[in-house]
Amino acid sequence: MATTFEPMVLTQDTVTEPLPAEPDGALYRRLYSYMLKCRMVEERIRVLYRQGRFAGNYFAAVGQEATEVGVTLDLLPEDTIAPSHRNFVTHIMKGTPLPLMFAHIYGRKTSPDQGRSAPAHCGYAPLNIITPSSTIAAQLNIGTGIALAYRMQHRSNVVVALSGEGSTSLGFWHEAVNFAGVRRLPILFVVENNGYAESVPAAIQTAVDDISVKAQAYGIPGISVDGNDVVAVYAAAREAIDRARKGKGPTLLECKTYRWYGHSEIDPAKYRDPAEVAYWKSKDPIAAMELRLESAGLWTEEWKKGLEAEFNREIDEAIAFAESSPRPEGEEALDQVYSFSIRERELEPKVWEPRFTVQRGE
Amino acid sequence: MAVMTYIDAINSALREEMARDSSVFLIGEDIGKMGGAFRATKGLLEEFGEDRVIDSPLAEGVIVSSSIGAAMAGMRPVPEIQFVDFITPAMDAITQQAAKLRYRSAGTQTCPITLRVCYGGSVGGGLYHSQSNTSWFIHCPGLVVVAPSRPYDAKGLLKAAIRDNNPVMFFEHKKLYRSMKEEVPESDYTVPLMKAAIARPGSDITAISYGYTLQLTLQAAEQMKQKHDVDVEVIDLRTLAPMDTDTFLESVAKTSRAVIVHEDNRTLGIGAEVAATIAEQAFDCLDAPILRVTAPDVPLLPAAAELENFCTVSADKIVAALERSMAY
Repeated sequence: MATTFEPMVLTQDTVTEPLPAEPDGALYRRLYSYMLKCRMVEERIRVLYRQGRFAGNYFAAVGQEATEVGVTLDLLPEDTIAPSHRNFVTHIMKGTPLPLMFAHIYGRKTSPDQGRSAPAHCGYAPLNIITPSSTIAAQLNIGTGIALAYRMQHRSNVVVALSGEGSTSLGFWHEAVNFAGVRRLPILFVVENNGYAESVPAAIQTAVDDISVKAQAYGIPGISVDGNDVVAVYAAAREAIDRARKGKGPTLLECKTYRWYGHSEIDPAKYRDPAEVAYWKSKDPIAAMELRLESAGLWTEEWKKGLEAEFNREIDEAIAFAESSPRPEGEEALDQVYSFSIRERELEPKVWEPRFTVQRGE
Repeated sequence: MAVMTYIDAINSALREEMARDSSVFLIGEDIGKMGGAFRATKGLLEEFGEDRVIDSPLAEGVIVSSSIGAAMAGMRPVPEIQFVDFITPAMDAITQQAAKLRYRSAGTQTCPITLRVCYGGSVGGGLYHSQSNTSWFIHCPGLVVVAPSRPYDAKGLLKAAIRDNNPVMFFEHKKLYRSMKEEVPESDYTVPLMKAAIARPGSDITAISYGYTLQLTLQAAEQMKQKHDVDVEVIDLRTLAPMDTDTFLESVAKTSRAVIVHEDNRTLGIGAEVAATIAEQAFDCLDAPILRVTAPDVPLLPAAAELENFCTVSADKIVAALERSMAY
């Protein structure tokens, strides 16, 4: 049976709406500058990859910055981010030092995991960012466990768990949302619907137009927002996070957005219609916010240039740190399997000699 | 001291650890009001409340992965899988998450969970209430796999597991739950993880096992003494991974013969690993081929008694292997 693909249509197009009459200028400028920083960091990582300066692969969220920034801006250090492979830049809002992020990209000894995980799979324990695995949706279930602990410990912290629309096809996704709903856990499930799970379009991933309707089955609020409108994403996330902090349970937030590039750096994404890509690039969340800020008198070319210069300097320093960082020693591969060392067992197996040399049967 | 069954010992360990440490909590299917399918958690809901004895949705993946998350946030979860036959929905959580979290975060994120798993056959449970599957997890670095063979160890090892900083899979054999009793301290004690035990000292041949088949091996050893005046040294592995190899290697160096007994399938069962270890590290000590007494390589266990008995290990089957080794 032939499958037709219709380009995704936004439920509402709010990107060009003017900001409120008395906008919170500082907040909106922060949202904008974080999006810009995320974009610059990822575009630089992509260049480094093409230059062969780090090994492995990278999964860019370029085009999705409004979602990455909007759902993480307000998090406290004690709150948890449960990221997927495409949420590397959420570290920026949480506050992970940029040099450590680049040391991670480079797989150096100075990275938070000392060179163990793939480049986009970065965690950071001091700020409660779970080190991701590649198995889709696993982070949501671990996130529910952290949220369960927060509640048992009478803390007001929350978990923001991110996944793509493809993850909603897995039983694991539903188990997490169901459990969080039953226990009213302080967790925000963010589904970044970027139109594609690797190469498979959303239309053949799920029969619903809005992922958020799946929340209904689990007795929790579900909201779909324009994931390229950072103000809309931020407002929805803030409300959901506030509810979670007050013990009112989880929320499912679908952010409809678009992945500008392939699934990873080795994917030219030829399965997509170039017109579709062009359409979405015309809805660039950063450019859109720039126009809105400018209309509200909150943006100048000079300010942007200043930000770019500052971010480039930070990125340059971070790359220099990473490239001058030591590489792990090969034998360190034997460490941190358990809380105890296995080096002796692996490296120095003993040999036993017979205790008795007498012939048996004598 | 009190005379306890294996299930009493488990219950006692859980109660003591929950009283000792407020971060210990239980989560699993039917563990609350019902007290667990085998009553391992009987009375604990009443004693510690619903927040610490959580009846989970019917989803093994959530049972394990929510425990992983809670452990990351400072709790000491003791999740339960009602039957190991139902553990497959939790395989990602166990093998990809719990086992690798410490490694992939270079020790900065850890999940000290104790996953209690009911396993084993010889109860007429059929294909989906009789499996062992211990090898799946022994093959997965990052997990500590424990399988006690008697009430004293069940209590002491469970308490040690809950206090351990690694994810521990704690395999409880359902046939052992009520089939034997022994004196177990009511006071606090632990049995060390990663340490095998000499369950019966002997000098003529080494028999290595764990769990329920350890008890059958002890019966076989007694028969060997009665019938042939052969002294079998029986090694209880207790922890299957990471395995204490020194204890059985030392024994084989003394006896020069080894028979390995387990009820899991033969191919790549723990017997294969024990045999390979002996061959690599104590080859010169051997006077006979290393033998295994295991289930055949068929799905375990078929329900009809005739079929089940064909597949399960028995004392007689172990005796036959011991005799064959001695006669070599």
